[in-house]
Amino acid sequence: MNHDSERSGLRCDGWSRRDFLHLGVISGLGFSLADLFRCTAGADQSPTGQDLSCILIWLDGGPSHLEMFDPKPEAPLEIRGEFNAIGTRVDGIQICEHLPRTAGMMREIALIRSLTHELGNHDTGSHYLLTGHRPAPAVPYPSLGSVMAREAGLLKAIPPYIAIPDAVPAAGAGYLSGAFAPFAAGGDATKASNKVRDLDLPSGITFDRMARRRSMQQQLDAFSRQVEESAATRSRDAFYEQAYRLMTSSEAKAAFDLGREPQSIRARYGGQRIGTGCLLARRLIEAGARFVTVVDHGWDMHQQIFKAMPDAFFQGSGKLPALDMAYAALLGDLKERGLLDTTLVVMMGEFGRTPKINNAAGRDHWPRAGSVLFSGGGVRGGQLIGATDAHGETPAERPVRPEDIAYSILKLLGVDPDKEYMAPNGRPLKIVAGGSFIRELV
Amino acid sequence: MRLALMVWIALVGPGLAQSNTLPSSQPHPPPEIQSQPSPGFSFATRILPILTHAGCNAGACHGAATGQGGFKLSLLGYDPESDYQAITRELGGRRVELGAPDRSLILRKPTRQLDHEGGRRIQLDSEAYRDLLAWIQAGTPYGSRNLRVIRIKVSPAELLLLKRGQSYPLQVHAYLSDGSVEDVTGQTLYSSYDDGLVEVDRAGVITARRPGVTAVMIRYLGQVAAVRAGAPYQDREHSFRTPPAANFIDELTQAEWRRLRLTASSPADVTTLFRRLHLDIAGRLPTPAEIRQFQAQPSRERSRGQATVVDQLLGSPDFVDFWTAKLGDWLLLNSKKLGDRGARSYHEWLRRQVAGNVGLDRVAYELLTAQGEATENGPVNFHRFASDPRDQSEFVGQALLGTRVACARCHNHPFDRWTMEDYHRFAAYFARTGFDKDRLVQRPTGEVQHPKTGKDLDPRPLGGLDQTAEPSADRRVALARWVIAPDNPFFARAMVNRVWKELMGRGLVEPADDLRPSNPASIPGLLDALAARFVEDGYDLRRLIRLIASSSTYALSSQANAVNRLDDRYFSRSYPKPLSAQVLADAIAQATGVPDEFPGYTVGTRAVTLLDPQVPSYSLDVYGRCPRTTPCDPAVTPGGGLAQALHLVNGPAINAKAPATIERLMKQTTTDRARVEELYLRVVGRPPTNRELRHWEQCLSRAASKQDELEDLLWALLNSREFAFNH
Repeated sequence: MNHDSERSGLRCDGWSRRDFLHLGVISGLGFSLADLFRCTAGADQSPTGQDLSCILIWLDGGPSHLEMFDPKPEAPLEIRGEFNAIGTRVDGIQICEHLPRTAGMMREIALIRSLTHELGNHDTGSHYLLTGHRPAPAVPYPSLGSVMAREAGLLKAIPPYIAIPDAVPAAGAGYLSGAFAPFAAGGDATKASNKVRDLDLPSGITFDRMARRRSMQQQLDAFSRQVEESAATRSRDAFYEQAYRLMTSSEAKAAFDLGREPQSIRARYGGQRIGTGCLLARRLIEAGARFVTVVDHGWDMHQQIFKAMPDAFFQGSGKLPALDMAYAALLGDLKERGLLDTTLVVMMGEFGRTPKINNAAGRDHWPRAGSVLFSGGGVRGGQLIGATDAHGETPAERPVRPEDIAYSILKLLGVDPDKEYMAPNGRPLKIVAGGSFIRELV
Repeated sequence: MRLALMVWIALVGPGLAQSNTLPSSQPHPPPEIQSQPSPGFSFATRILPILTHAGCNAGACHGAATGQGGFKLSLLGYDPESDYQAITRELGGRRVELGAPDRSLILRKPTRQLDHEGGRRIQLDSEAYRDLLAWIQAGTPYGSRNLRVIRIKVSPAELLLLKRGQSYPLQVHAYLSDGSVEDVTGQTLYSSYDDGLVEVDRAGVITARRPGVTAVMIRYLGQVAAVRAGAPYQDREHSFRTPPAANFIDELTQAEWRRLRLTASSPADVTTLFRRLHLDIAGRLPTPAEIRQFQAQPSRERSRGQATVVDQLLGSPDFVDFWTAKLGDWLLLNSKKLGDRGARSYHEWLRRQVAGNVGLDRVAYELLTAQGEATENGPVNFHRFASDPRDQSEFVGQALLGTRVACARCHNHPFDRWTMEDYHRFAAYFARTGFDKDRLVQRPTGEVQHPKTGKDLDPRPLGGLDQTAEPSADRRVALARWVIAPDNPFFARAMVNRVWKELMGRGLVEPADDLRPSNPASIPGLLDALAARFVEDGYDLRRLIRLIASSSTYALSSQANAVNRLDDRYFSRSYPKPLSAQVLADAIAQATGVPDEFPGYTVGTRAVTLLDPQVPSYSLDVYGRCPRTTPCDPAVTPGGGLAQALHLVNGPAINAKAPATIERLMKQTTTDRARVEELYLRVVGRPPTNRELRHWEQCLSRAASKQDELEDLLWALLNSREFAFNH
C-alpha cells in the first residue's frame, strides 16, 4: 500500500470507496481511538461474561400504575376506574384489559409493583429514575445510558448510547464528557422522510466527493504541523474517525433505516411512534449499540384518562394499544432472534398516578407508588416483585427505590454501580449511591 | 521565599559517580525537628491515626456515610467521640474485649484472623497492632478531650530528585495543642496527584517515575499539606536561550524552567501570535485585511507589536462582548433559572462592568450585596442560584473564591482543612436572604444550624476570624468586605488563576476552581506574584490580561521540542486550545462571510453576544457550549464529540454556507493563487506556504469544476485541525 505517498503527493481526486475506508486505518487513528477510549478494559462484561445491552422504554409523564400493571379490581370505583383486569400467562398476575399482548408475554417479565419515592414533579422525578440520584443543584448526574457508554467505550461504528427520537433532559451525560451524551436518532421514524441528523451526506455531495473532501482534510493536517499532537487533537481526530465510520458503515447506517425492515415486522410492532421506536431500538442493538432509550411522550394524563388510554382520537388509537403492541412485539422479536438473553428491556416512567380519580376524570402525579418492568438480560420472568396496598397508594411489601432500580440495571449490564467517578466539584461520587441490587430479579 | 525551600537530593553512591553532577545546589538535609511526644494520652491523636492509616475509615470502607458491614466510623476520623462510641460501646462491646484483648474484633478483623471484606489492613506483628492491643489492655482510655493537632510540617517542603527512579523519604511532624511535637510519618496518608509521574508509598517514600513534577497530598488528622515532588525533565545540566523577559511572569517561568531543566520552545511566529491574541482577547479570528496590514509592517515593528496588538484588542467592543460572555459562564447566568428579564438585566449589568473597566473587587462586592428587583438590578440575580443558603454558599465559594467547600457539608473536608462548622458558618451569611417574587428581601431572622449539634451558627468567613456585626446588619456586607480585602487569600488568586487559564490554556492551579493548600499551583510563586499585582492594580481585568498577553511566555510557539514535549503545566510551550462553542460558530460565520441566524436576534448577531444557553441553536449545542447549570471546564467538556463531527462534516453549518462564499470569491478574485490565499487567510489566519499553494493550484488547474474544488477546499480548511485550535 502506498497511500502515504499518494497523500503527500499531488493526488486531488478519484478516491475510491475502498480507499476512503482505508484512510482511517492507515492514518493511525485506530490507535488513538483505542487510546482515548481505553476505559473499556474490564468494564463491559456482565456477570455472565457476555456483552449486555439495554433498551429502556421511557413512558414520559408518569404512567398510571392502576390503569396498567397494578389494577385494583376490588377497590371502589373512584379508585379502580373503568377498566377491568385480565389474567396473564402467569397464574396470579393480572394486568389491565387493554394490554392483552403484554399479558401473553408475562413469562418473560419481572413486574415490580412497589416503586416508591417522593419527587412528584416531572423534572425531578425523571432525573431520579434516569440517573438513580435525586437532582442536586451543584452536580448534574449522568444518566444510566451515559454511564453505560462511558464503561463500554466508543469503539464501534454505531454510537453506544442512542436516544429515540431524542433524549429527555435528565437522560444526558451530566458531569461526564459530552462524548457520552446520547446520540439522538431524531425525527419521527413513522414518517418515510425521517432522517437521522447529519448522518447522510449533504444534498448534492456524492460519496466520491466526500471522500475527496476527507482526503483534502487529511492533506491539510499533514501539511500543517501547526497544531502539536495532544490528547485534544487525538480525541478530535477520533470523533471524525467515528463519524466517517458511521457514515461509511453500511451496516451501522442501515441500522437507522427502518425501510429495510419487512412489512410484516413493521406491522407487528405497530405503526405509531412507540412501535417504530422499539423496532428501531432492536435494529440498533443488533448493530452493536449498548443502551437505547425509546422515549414515549404523553403519559401525563390529568384528564380523561379512560379515553386517552385506549382510544384517544378513535377507538384503539390510544396509548395502551400502541404500547401493548410495541412492547410485546419487541420482547417476542428479541426472543425469536436469540437476543433477549443479552438484551435487558426496562419499561418505566417517572412516577405513578394518584389512586383517587380527580374531577377531570384523570389522575395526578403520585410518586409514592409505581410499576417498573424488567425483562431479558438474565432476568427471571413470570414474577411479581413487591405489591402496593389495597388502593395502590403505597407499597405494602418490598418497597423499591429509584436507587435500587438504577443499581440493578447497571449490575445486570455488568457495570459496577459502586464504582466512583470524580465529579466536577472534586468529590468522588459513586455511580449509584445508596441503592442495592433487587435480588429477586435473577 | 517558597522556592528557596526546594531541596536538591543527590543520592549518587560512590560507585555510581556520574559525570553529570548537579549544579551548585548540593543536597542539604532538612533541618532536624526534635520530637517531643506529648506526655498526655488521647484516643483522638494516638489511636485514630492508626485506623486512618490502615484505611479503616476511608470513604469506601467504614468511613462511608452508611458505614460498612454495620460498623460506621467518621470519614478519616474527623469525629473522634462518635468513633470512640462505635468502637467501645456498640455491638455489645464485642469490638473491644477487655477480658481477652486479643479476641477484640477491632484486632481480629483487620488482621484477617476473622473474615474481613476489606482484606488485611494491619499485620499481626506490626507496631500498629501492638499499639491497638496495648490500648485495649489499658482499658480503652479516651484520654484528653482537648488534645488536638494544630498543624503539620512536612520536610522537605519541596523535593526535586536527581533523576527518575530515585527515592527519598518524607518526614511529617505534628504540632499538638499541648506544645508537643510528634513524628507522625508512619501514620500519615500520602497520595500523589499523578502517580505515573511520582509514586509515594504508605511510609511516605517518594519515587520519581518519569520527568516532571507533581504534588503529593499529605493528610494527618484533618490537617492537609502538599509537597511538590518529581525529577527534572532531563538528566543533564543544560543551557538554553530564553527570549528576554518582558515582565516578572517571564522571570518566574524561566527560573522554573532552569530548575526543572526544561528547554522552552522558541517564540511563535508573529502571524500565529496575531491570531492567538485575537482569539484569546477578542474571541474572533483576525480578518484577512487585518493580517495583511499587520504583515505589511516592517518585521521589527511586527515583533515589537505584541503589546500594541494587545492594547488594540483590549480597547475593542469585541473584547467587551467576549469577556462578558466569560463572566456569564463563571457566574452561571441562565434565563432558565433567572427568567428572561432577570437574565437580561444581569447580562447588561455585567456588560457595563466590563465595558467600564470596573475592578473585579467592585463587581464582587456588588454581586454579594445587591438589593432590589432582580429584573432591574442585574447583580441581584447572583443570589438566585439557590434558595438554600448552603447551596448558595457552595456556589459563591466556587464562583468567587475558587474553593470547593461542598464536601464539608456532611463531614469534614477530606482534602482541605474545612470542618463542618466552617462550612455551615460560611453558609450562614446567606441564611437571611430570600426573594419575594423578583425582589430580594433581607429577613430579620434565619439561621443555619450545625447538622450534628442542631445549634445556630454565627457567620464566619472561610479560614477567617469571627466577625462582630450588629445583629440587624445585612450579613452579606461583612462577607463582601472580607472577600475583597487585599489580604483575602482566595479571591484575587481565584480570579487570576481563571484569567491565566483562559489565556494560557491551563490554570496554574487545576482544576481552576479548586484552590486549597493540598493542591498547589504548578508555579506557586507565579500565582502569588500575579495575585499581588492584580490587587495592586485595582483588580483591573484589562491590566491583568495585558500583563499576561504581553509576556514572552505567552508568545512561545506551541511546537514542542524533544525536552518539553511532556511539559503540561510549566508553560514552556504554548498549549493549543480548542475553539469554544460560540467562538467556533462565529469563526465559521466570519470565515465564510455567511452569518448565522438565532431566533429572536437580528441576522448577523455573533454567538458570543447571545444572552445565555437557552437561545436555541443545534450547532452551539453540539459544539459543547457551557450549559451554565454547573461550572464549566472547557478542558473536560470539549464538545459534542461524534455529533459535532457529523455536524461539521454533513450538517448545514459549513455545507449550507460554502457555495455562497465561493461564488463571491470567484467574482472577487481572478486567479487560483489569490483564491487559495484568501481562503487560507480567512480560515487559518495565515497565507499558505509555497508547498501548499503549489499543491492546491495544481489541483485547481485540473479540477472539473473550480467552484466545487474551492468549496471542498473551504470545507476541508474549516474541518482542519489548524482551524479547530487556537495554537
